[in-house]
This record gives sequence, C-alpha cells and structure tokens, in this order.
Amino acid sequence: MPADREEIDSPPALRRVSPWLPCFLAWVFPGLGHFFLGKRRRAVVFCLVVLASFTLGLGSSGCSSIIDGDQPLSYLATFDNLALGPLDLVGRLVTFGSLAYRLPVNPSDPRRLELTDRLRTRVKQVTYEYGNTFLLTAGLMNILLILDVFDLASGRKQ
Amino acid sequence: MIRSHFLNLVVFSVLVGVFFAFLTQNTTRDRIRIMVLLGGAMIVLSLIIAYVMYPFPMRS
Repeated sequence: MPADREEIDSPPALRRVSPWLPCFLAWVFPGLGHFFLGKRRRAVVFCLVVLASFTLGLGSSGCSSIIDGDQPLSYLATFDNLALGPLDLVGRLVTFGSLAYRLPVNPSDPRRLELTDRLRTRVKQVTYEYGNTFLLTAGLMNILLILDVFDLASGRKQ
Repeated sequence: MIRSHFLNLVVFSVLVGVFFAFLTQNTTRDRIRIMVLLGGAMIVLSLIIAYVMYPFPMRS
C-alpha cells in the first residue's frame, strides 16, 4: 500500500521548538499550530472543521457563555468558549454586542438586564440548542488541537 | 439556520468524525475507516436511542 501523502510531504522530524509557541498559535487560530509544525493537510482540515462548527453555532443562534456566579457550570462553558482564541471575540460581539464575560451580580444593574435581554432573544430561537452545541463543540475541538500540538511539539506523538 | 433535527445530527456527526479521524490516524485508509465508523455510530445510536425513548411522554 502506498504511504499516505502527508507522511511523504512531512519532514521526517518535526521542528524542534518550545511546545508553547505552537500551542499559542493553535489557540490564536484553529489549525495554525499544526501548520507551524509542518502538518499542513491536517491544519487545513482542522481549520475547516472548527470554523464550520463555530459558524453553524453562531448562525443557529448559539450563545457565547457568560460567567454567572449562581451557575457554576457557566465557568466551564466560558472557559470552553475562550479556548477559541480571538474567534471568541466574534462570538461575544454577535451574542452580546460587546465583550462581556461576566454578568453583573446586582439583579437591578442595567448592564445585567441588557445582557440577559440579549440572551433571551437568542434562547427563544428554535435552533438555539443546536447552535450552542456546535459552539461548545468548536471550543472543545480547539482544546484537543492545542493538546495535540503540545504532544507533537514535545515529541510525545509523531 | 438548519432546522431539521436529523440534518443537524448528520452534520454534527460528520464534523466530529472527520475531526477525530484526522486527530488520531495517520493514513488515508485509517482515516476513512474511523470517519465512517464514528460518524455512522453517532447517527445510528442516536436513532436507536430516539426510538427507545419514543414511548415515553415528554410531560408527566
């Protein structure tokens, strides 16, 4: 059986650099870390998959998560969104119209009311649950990509 | 955007299948195998679970 094209194209040994730089690149844009390490075909596929998931998520009225002190899981969901790097900024601007990361604690705070109003508008959409699932999946996939890049750059994985 | 439950399920399964195929495998043949296996399993298992849940009422 002929060897896979990527195996032929890739250099025999990956670039030996500190693993943190490719990890940072992977966080900045999905697939960029793999591209930096010479895994170009993988990089393109990862980029397309994560961007498709992210775009479908926002297009289906998914919401970027926001930290709410009363809901402990909101911390995890917000962390997951942040794993998308600068793409998360786009998600927040579309969802909240501003870069909001935490709901104000005071229930009568006008900022809190504005943010919850914006959330309610999207939550009422039929496709909200799908959108949220796609958005969270995009974040989780990018976390896995960052970990994969770390393994590749540190020589744990070929 | 996509309003169909089934179409959302298929798109999601394909995306996740492709992602894990490229993440875990190195050859084209293995990637296709994992894509089909993972994507297919997600679709088929979801349909089975949906079928099993069908008799249960949504509200008591």
